[in-house]
Amino acid sequence: MALFLKRFCSQFKNLQLNTSNTLLRNIQAISLIPSIQNYSNTPTPFEVVDTEEDNKAKNQILNKVNSLVADKTHGRLFAVVHVTGKQFKITDGDVIVIEGYWPPDVGDKITLDKVLMAGSADFTLIGRPIVEKGLVRVQATVIEKTLSHTKTHFRKKRRKQYMRINFYRVPQTYLRINEISFQDEINNPKEVRGLETAIFS
Amino acid sequence: MVFTTVINFVRARGPDEIWRKRRIFKLAAHFIGRRRNCYSIAVRNVHRALVYATKGRKLKREDMANLWETRVRAGCEQHNISYESFREGLARCNILLNRRTLADLACWEPYSFKSLTDIAKRRTLDDGLAGINADKYLDRIITRGSLNTEK
Repeated sequence: MALFLKRFCSQFKNLQLNTSNTLLRNIQAISLIPSIQNYSNTPTPFEVVDTEEDNKAKNQILNKVNSLVADKTHGRLFAVVHVTGKQFKITDGDVIVIEGYWPPDVGDKITLDKVLMAGSADFTLIGRPIVEKGLVRVQATVIEKTLSHTKTHFRKKRRKQYMRINFYRVPQTYLRINEISFQDEINNPKEVRGLETAIFS
Repeated sequence: MVFTTVINFVRARGPDEIWRKRRIFKLAAHFIGRRRNCYSIAVRNVHRALVYATKGRKLKREDMANLWETRVRAGCEQHNISYESFREGLARCNILLNRRTLADLACWEPYSFKSLTDIAKRRTLDDGLAGINADKYLDRIITRGSLNTEK
C-alpha cells in the first residue's frame, strides 16, 4: 500500500496542473514508437481520466483495509522480509535460519524492518521496495546460534597428483518470528499527518 | 634383529594401514558390492563421491534458482504475461522481490501473485513495452502514473 501512498501523492500534482477534474492525457506508449518511417494509421489513444472516480475507488479499498486493521479482524498476517541478502516469506511462529556471520546474540529481541510485502487473507501491501516504515512491525527473537554440520570441501584432479581436502562449518542463527502486526493506519504516514491544513510559504 | 639401513622405514609412512583404510571404509559404508569391501575400489569411489558433494552444493543453488524460475514462469503463464515482462514490469515499479519469494507467492499466495502480475502488466502497458496486449480487464487497475517512481 506504499503503492497507494505514491498514488495519493501523485494526485496533488494532477490537481495543480489541471483545473478541471476530467482531463485528457496522451498515453505514453505512442511516443515510444522508435521508427519514424512507419507511420501508424491507428488513432492516437486518449483516455478520459476522472480523478474523483479514481479517488472514490481508492478510498473505498483503503477504508475497507483500514477497518480490518483497526478491528484487528484481518487474521494471521504474512510478510516478506529481507534479512542478510535473502528474502523470507514468514508468518507468526515461524523459525528462519540465517546463515553466515550475523551479530545478534541469543535472546535478543529484534524487529525486522525491511518488509517487502505484508498481507493477510483479504489484502496485501506491496512495498516499493519496502512498505512504509513503522507501519508493519515484525518482531523476532534469536533462539539459537550454532554451526552447521561439517561440510567437506574436496578437490581432486585425476592423474595429476592433486588432492586437497578442507572442512568448514557455517555459523547459523535461528530466528523465531514472534509477531507480525500493524502499528498504524494504512496510507496515513506520521510524517505528513496534519499537513492538509498547514500553509507553506 | 638389527636393521642397518633405513629402507625398512620407508614403507611405514602415515598412520597405520588399518586406520588409514578404516577412514575410507567408513565413508564407503553405504556403498554396494565390492565398492564397500575392497579398499582400492572403495577409495576411488569415495573420492568421486566427495568431489560430487563439493560440486553439488553449488549446483543445488543453481537448480533451486531454476526451479523457482520455472514456478514463476508457470504462474505468469496462468495470468497471460511472459516471465520477462513480468520481471521487467516489477523492476520498473521498484518491486524488488526475488525469484524465491515470487515462487513462494505463486504457490501459496495466488491472489497476491495475481495482483503482482496485474501491476506488471499495467506498467509494461504504460511504458509501451512489447508483449502485452491492451486488455479491457486491465482498465480496472488504477495507476494514473503512480507506478512511475519520481527521482
